[in-house]
Amino acid sequence: MGQLEADNISVAFAGLKALSDVRLSVTPGHITGLIGPNGAGKTTLVNVLTGFQAPTAGAVRLDGHSLAGLQPHQVRRRGIARTFQGGRLFRDLPVIDNLEVTGVGLGQSRRAAIAEAQAMLDWMGIAPLADQIAGTLPYTDERRVAIGRALMGRPGYILLDEPAAGMSAPEAAELAALIRRIARDLNCGVLLIEHNVGLVLETCDHIVVLDSGAVIEDGPPAQIRASETVRHAYMGTAADSALPVLEVME
Amino acid sequence: MAQDAQKPQKSVLLRTIATPLILTALMVALALLTLAVGSRPFNQTMIDIFVRVILVVGLYIFVGNSGVLSFGHIGFTCLGAYAAAWLTMPPMMKELSFPGLPDWLKAVQLPYGPGAVLAALFAGVFALLFGRVLMRLSGIAASIATFAMLAMINTIYANWESVTAATNSVVGIPIVRTIWPYMIGAIVAIFVAWLHAVSRFGLALRAARDEPTAALASGIDIPRVRLVAFGLSGVVMGLGGALMAHSIGVVTPDTFYLGLTFITLSMLVVGGMSTLSGAVSGVVILSLLIQGLRWLERGVPVGNTTFALPGGLQEILLGVVMIAILARRPNGLFSKEFAWPFGARDRRGPALAATQTVPEGDA
Repeated sequence: MGQLEADNISVAFAGLKALSDVRLSVTPGHITGLIGPNGAGKTTLVNVLTGFQAPTAGAVRLDGHSLAGLQPHQVRRRGIARTFQGGRLFRDLPVIDNLEVTGVGLGQSRRAAIAEAQAMLDWMGIAPLADQIAGTLPYTDERRVAIGRALMGRPGYILLDEPAAGMSAPEAAELAALIRRIARDLNCGVLLIEHNVGLVLETCDHIVVLDSGAVIEDGPPAQIRASETVRHAYMGTAADSALPVLEVME
Repeated sequence: MAQDAQKPQKSVLLRTIATPLILTALMVALALLTLAVGSRPFNQTMIDIFVRVILVVGLYIFVGNSGVLSFGHIGFTCLGAYAAAWLTMPPMMKELSFPGLPDWLKAVQLPYGPGAVLAALFAGVFALLFGRVLMRLSGIAASIATFAMLAMINTIYANWESVTAATNSVVGIPIVRTIWPYMIGAIVAIFVAWLHAVSRFGLALRAARDEPTAALASGIDIPRVRLVAFGLSGVVMGLGGALMAHSIGVVTPDTFYLGLTFITLSMLVVGGMSTLSGAVSGVVILSLLIQGLRWLERGVPVGNTTFALPGGLQEILLGVVMIAILARRPNGLFSKEFAWPFGARDRRGPALAATQTVPEGDA
């Protein structure tokens, strides 16, 4: 069984360290959480893992092989998919074509891509959205379409960048169920980046906490929940007994 | 919900074929109108319109789908026109105009049809060569680089005396006055553009135009899908150049330079840059407008006096009309593809058009 691995990744922008020696791994069928305060470097790490940002030091490895020098589209063709904060759907295209574009990008014919897109929308339970223009979708549907688009071609790994942002508690719970199905039914390795810490604690098998570009904690949910360091990073103080957004999912 | 999803999907080709068929009908109608009118100047006007349809459709294949404005495509028209001259002129006249051509080429004299096809492919090969470099650029850098390419081609053709006759007019190209080959050329261009637009390359290119970051994350190799469009549009521009050479019988390098670049780009933008329907109608509408204004400039007899616009007003009025159109419709006249007027339209709408006006919202 392979894995996707960030091996001592560092990124510096004009001397400013955005990430320093970050280690993290994602395994097929498992959900790894990535949390941390704003500016901790979470999105930068996703950009590095998907080829959008070259690391200053360290390497991204897929099944032990370095992905150094690959363009983002080449990384995607090796089965590492991602979503973006804010969706970035092809706003003028219908939902089904949004998914179809990925199939086509991965080398399928339009006919095959449309068939897979249809099946994917069915699997996600959003088939009725197929013909809607993506730019007219409500926020939550937009997120789901973005996930469906990333799942085209059955990637080995999917990196979800704040998929629950702006969702209500019931919507987030629905999303959590979908994420579990992605890991379990598609045997996909999921990296879940979220501000909603409750969602991450509830969904993930393993959680990595970033602060100021460095990993400050790394372990199963119970360990993160109990961690003094994590609480400190979020609150700036060790006095409070609970993480601020911990209860969202109750 | 499940029933809705199971609804059999018509193929993309069937769903969108209305557009090229309607545009083809428009071309045939224009040709028939020309026969009915039967006047020689009108015939020439219509030939010019067909040639411009080819050129503007060629531009659309790249510019419309990629969103990268190209100022260089008329360079491929130049390549096509001179290649047609090399291939179709009588050997004796080639000896005079192009003494530096290789002997085998001097000895060749093809009919205009095969000549135009080879000229188109010749332009396409150069488009692929230039494209290998240019397609890595984006935005304004790409546009300026295409302009540099146009200037290069123009300079070479204006100075390589033994092969291009430099700035001298090349005469002796067989003139073709019947309207049909031009009409067929326009229809071929329309179908090539449509097939590209509905192919996976066209879809991927429009996705890359609208949301490049997401396109990369969808596995799309942006320079490659751009290159496909660039090469194909080079072929169509070359075909247009060859037919243009046969329509006027004379070529000079400056025939294929800034003037033609700007008029073809204007027609594309006014018609609607992102749709094939817009590209074709832009040509027809602006050409008819130009022709009408020229006619008014020449003078219209009313009773026993003649009303005429002052000379030069034609260009000014044309500019005013173009600005007025763009002010009211910044996406051009047609930002949706033509579709069957009744019933048969699929509720998904034409998949060919990736740009429909959708209210801007926060992402």
